[in-house]
Amino acid sequence: METYLKNKKLIAIGFLLIHSIAILIFTRGFLLTRTELPFHSTCSDVSLSPCLTSPPPSNHDSNPDSISSHSNHTCWTKPVVDRVIIIVLDALRIDFVAPSAFFPEPKPWMDKLTILQKLAFANESSAKIFKAFADPPTTSLQRLKGLTTGGLPTFIDVGNSFGAPAIVEDNFINQLVQNGKRLVMMGDDTWTQLFPNQFQKSYPFPSFNVKDLDTVDNGCTEHLFPTLYEDDWDVLIAHFLGVDHAGHIFGVDSSPMINKLEQYNSVLEKVISILESHAGPGGLHENTMLIVMGDHGQTLNGDHGGGTAEEVETSMFAMSTKKHTTSVPPEFDTSSCKQNSDGKQICISSIEQLDFAATLSALLGISSPFGSIGHVNPELYALGSSNWDLEKSESGNFGTQSAVKEWMKNYVNVLCVNAWQVKRYIDVYSNSSVVGFSSDDMARISDLYAAAEQNWTNSVKHLLMDRNGDENNTNRSAFKEQIAAYLNFFSSVVELARSKWTEFNLNLMITGFGILVISLIIQFLVVFHGDKSYAVGFWLSTGAAFTLFLVTIRACSFLSNSYILEEGKVANFLLATTGLIKLRYSVMKKTMRKEAVIFLAIASVLRVSIDIGLTKQAATSQFMSSSPSWILGIALDLPALTYAIEIAPIVSVVILICVLYIAIAKTPSEGMWNEGMWKYVTVGSMISYFLIALLWASESKIFGLDGLLQVIGGRNRIPQTVYAIGLVQLFLLASARMFCAGEKKYWATRTVALVSACSSPVILLSGKQGSLLALAYLLAGYCIMRLEGVERITKLDRQNKLSKLNPLCVMQWSLLSICMFFASGHWCAFDGLRYGAAFVGFDEFVLIRQAILLTIETFGFSIILSVFGLPILLPIHSQTPQAHSQKRHQLFQMYMLFGVISATTVTATILCVTIQRRHLMVWGLFAPKFVFDVVGLILTDLLICLASAYYF
Amino acid sequence: MKEGKKKKKTETSIGESISALGAFFVYLITGLFLAVGFWVVGEKYSVDLISDPSLTLRLLWIIEFPIVVIIYSLFRRNPEKCSYFRAVGRSILGLISGAIINALGAVSLGAPIGLQSLPKTIHWSFLMSVFTVVPATAVFGASWTNWHRVFASLKPTGNIEYMILIPAYGAIIGGWFGAWPMPLDWERPWQEWPICVCYGAIGGYIVGQIVSLSLMIFLRKHKNLKLA
Repeated sequence: METYLKNKKLIAIGFLLIHSIAILIFTRGFLLTRTELPFHSTCSDVSLSPCLTSPPPSNHDSNPDSISSHSNHTCWTKPVVDRVIIIVLDALRIDFVAPSAFFPEPKPWMDKLTILQKLAFANESSAKIFKAFADPPTTSLQRLKGLTTGGLPTFIDVGNSFGAPAIVEDNFINQLVQNGKRLVMMGDDTWTQLFPNQFQKSYPFPSFNVKDLDTVDNGCTEHLFPTLYEDDWDVLIAHFLGVDHAGHIFGVDSSPMINKLEQYNSVLEKVISILESHAGPGGLHENTMLIVMGDHGQTLNGDHGGGTAEEVETSMFAMSTKKHTTSVPPEFDTSSCKQNSDGKQICISSIEQLDFAATLSALLGISSPFGSIGHVNPELYALGSSNWDLEKSESGNFGTQSAVKEWMKNYVNVLCVNAWQVKRYIDVYSNSSVVGFSSDDMARISDLYAAAEQNWTNSVKHLLMDRNGDENNTNRSAFKEQIAAYLNFFSSVVELARSKWTEFNLNLMITGFGILVISLIIQFLVVFHGDKSYAVGFWLSTGAAFTLFLVTIRACSFLSNSYILEEGKVANFLLATTGLIKLRYSVMKKTMRKEAVIFLAIASVLRVSIDIGLTKQAATSQFMSSSPSWILGIALDLPALTYAIEIAPIVSVVILICVLYIAIAKTPSEGMWNEGMWKYVTVGSMISYFLIALLWASESKIFGLDGLLQVIGGRNRIPQTVYAIGLVQLFLLASARMFCAGEKKYWATRTVALVSACSSPVILLSGKQGSLLALAYLLAGYCIMRLEGVERITKLDRQNKLSKLNPLCVMQWSLLSICMFFASGHWCAFDGLRYGAAFVGFDEFVLIRQAILLTIETFGFSIILSVFGLPILLPIHSQTPQAHSQKRHQLFQMYMLFGVISATTVTATILCVTIQRRHLMVWGLFAPKFVFDVVGLILTDLLICLASAYYF
Repeated sequence: MKEGKKKKKTETSIGESISALGAFFVYLITGLFLAVGFWVVGEKYSVDLISDPSLTLRLLWIIEFPIVVIIYSLFRRNPEKCSYFRAVGRSILGLISGAIINALGAVSLGAPIGLQSLPKTIHWSFLMSVFTVVPATAVFGASWTNWHRVFASLKPTGNIEYMILIPAYGAIIGGWFGAWPMPLDWERPWQEWPICVCYGAIGGYIVGQIVSLSLMIFLRKHKNLKLA
């Protein structure tokens, strides 16, 4: 028997290892991580690059003053525009902007922004429509981050932005501020969350209310027009939300959407007329660029977030107030053209949103963000580059030719700096990040870059330096070749980055999932293996069938995002269902009806608590609508109620102390020394509880114990004492287990000692609800224990204590622990963590200590107490040694069963994230759920190991 | 213990009995009145379960309740001791207590408890009470042993008890399954409490009726075979 029990410990450790390996492999494939580098680009960096630090000399540059009049100093490249107006229209589909001729059939929402089309397709135009490609996840916050940093936000980025904190990575906005540009922002308040200090002036409007189509837009227009007449800014950002909201509420094909688009058209008409009226030489907008862009697209239902073509394809309109524009050489022209109804040739180009930060940095002549991997888009850059041919206004073929050449000279130098910056980022990233790029990929990229650079230093640089370079075609082709080499480098960098940061490794994911499934099968076999007459009854029993049914339902429920959002309610629904079934049996057998009713009552109480938790979640979640409708109209300032709220936790702590006292008073005290020790350990918990009650009493105002905290020396003293008592208790228990292995009779005492030792820190960290929940947990556990096997209780069975155990009780315990997780105000998202708990008893932040406290708080009720408290479910009367060893066998099976149930749900979650990896909510919902479940499973396995070491 | 039960069985099985054909007509009438209820709601008040659940549910149970009471009171136990009107009276009490039990069950399973949904919950539980408790009160009255035997031990004897038991369980299980689509984010109006639960309960009730009918027919044939 002893060796068998030792094997059991090994079995528990084995499952811990298998699960860890499976999860590790899966995570490598699924959780794409990108390390945010803390470095920032500065103007002086450029001297390290092989490129020309001063702007290339121009053939026609007879008037040097004209350059210095545009900007006082140059940073990386010569600025080509003075001011930029960025108007972001949220969720702007490509077919809102592009003419209907580009689409199979015209739809009602097309051709509404007529002013943009008119400008873009006018002769001699300095405006262009781009089809812009966003990278998933296509939600506003992530897109704004991608646009401004020029990178590809991944899970870790997204993970950091749940509470929308400021972007710490180097970004375009940061660079603007660093280069002394003045910024004005209006509209969506996400910008001010991302960039709290960067804007000189900002007019943020709340983006939270999706049903409100007009507040943000009206606020925007109200501030936009006056600001256009002012000269105290260099970059203006206006973010309109109406189209996004109209899409979410009404869908694309709706009259509010069309009204919104028509409203935007008139706003844009007015903006452009203001710009044109000030576009003359010396005017306010002499050299201004207007960019109208979407941050992402949307589906016809107004959804966005995923990676489908409709969501990814958005549009960008760019216009320079300088009329004359350089045409891009056809090699670098991405435009696609169609005939419109009048038979006129109309073209739209395409651009990657990734390139936005780099291109705008080049246009404004500032350093591009450190982590940008985009390149300067030739067509967008050309729009602004009317600057070079200046006011020479050479006419005819020669003028255009030289303008193109001039543009190419500048562009090739810009690309040189750009390529150097990207290469620097890739090098630094792969050196400093935990999971860098593979050496093969790095070598390939380095080769491409080296080739381009070689060509640069050997020939092109000299051509550029050479002021009197002859105007022949070899020059042009050399430039073109150089540009092509750079673009080749950029495209392979972006391809590598995409594969690294936006594509899942399906092979690893499937391997991890496969290992987990195999471990599940083994675990089932282990549970069945020990199916002896006194073990957990599995075959042909209604309890087993029902358990299987519930596990299956719960597992399947994870395939839908809605059930994940309402997981707490689903668990409670299933828990109450088991309660109802037990109630039916208890009525049938005419025993223990009281317990069944109490169990149902606890389930009802828990559901109210879960509802409260869900409303908290809805307040911050982007997926849930807050529905406080269930809240009864109780005035919370009623004095009686305040007293009740203050007193209830303390009363329940007192009740817990009494329960502990009864528990240890019942056990025989004439035992050996170590039996006494279990008791003393439990007495320690009673002291802890008392201290907790004292702490809460002194924190509330009604007891008049305010002075107490001063007496004992600060409010941290009590929590620290409680932690210390808990640690000492655990140490004593461990040493008692190691050195006094002889006596193994008294389950109850040992369980009580361990659970109570763990419970006091958990209750303390959970705050005042903790004691109430602990009481509910204890009561529910007692009811489950009593109701276990109620359906087969007859007089005969009662004499035979070693009847088979009903697996349903373990399922109930597992469901109860899940309900506890949600009822204690948690949910599976990172903003569901109660960070305040990490600082109970400590003021300063020490990562490991605070992380441990947070883990205890998060999983305290749902995993730590439920795993250690599982023996509560065993009926305690076992006197004979034989019965005792059989009980141990039963307990081991219960642990295995508990492990199987947890592992099954986690496997279902993993299957779900594998299937839904391209789902709209994968980062917002499935990935956090995955992280919580996986951490929970590992913790469960670990604690099962510890528990089997302790109990067997 | 077992012997005692058997004795009780033989005692309690005395009462009005009903043939499968009769049961079929009873079901037809109750089903018809359910349909009438929906028709009245749709035609006279021009609402439906989705647009105004509480009014619809109220009308449904008000229309369904009398017919259920009138029919099932005919099959009351001990007709010589218990008058027809007493059976009607006690089924009104049964309606109310059954509604309370159903409401409590629904709340413990997660029905919303706000003031807004209170009327809906009340009328839903009255309808559920008509499906589950009212026939049994009309037939059994306060005889706990009968209740216990039929509902808890699932040992019905005679066609009338099948007619009480199986549709009642059908309605409850149907309602339980009917709650499943509620959390889904399809944003359909019928996902609101208690609309889909209602559909589920009515569906389960009808399925229960069909099952009980076929059981009755099957058992009679079985009996005939045995006799032969």
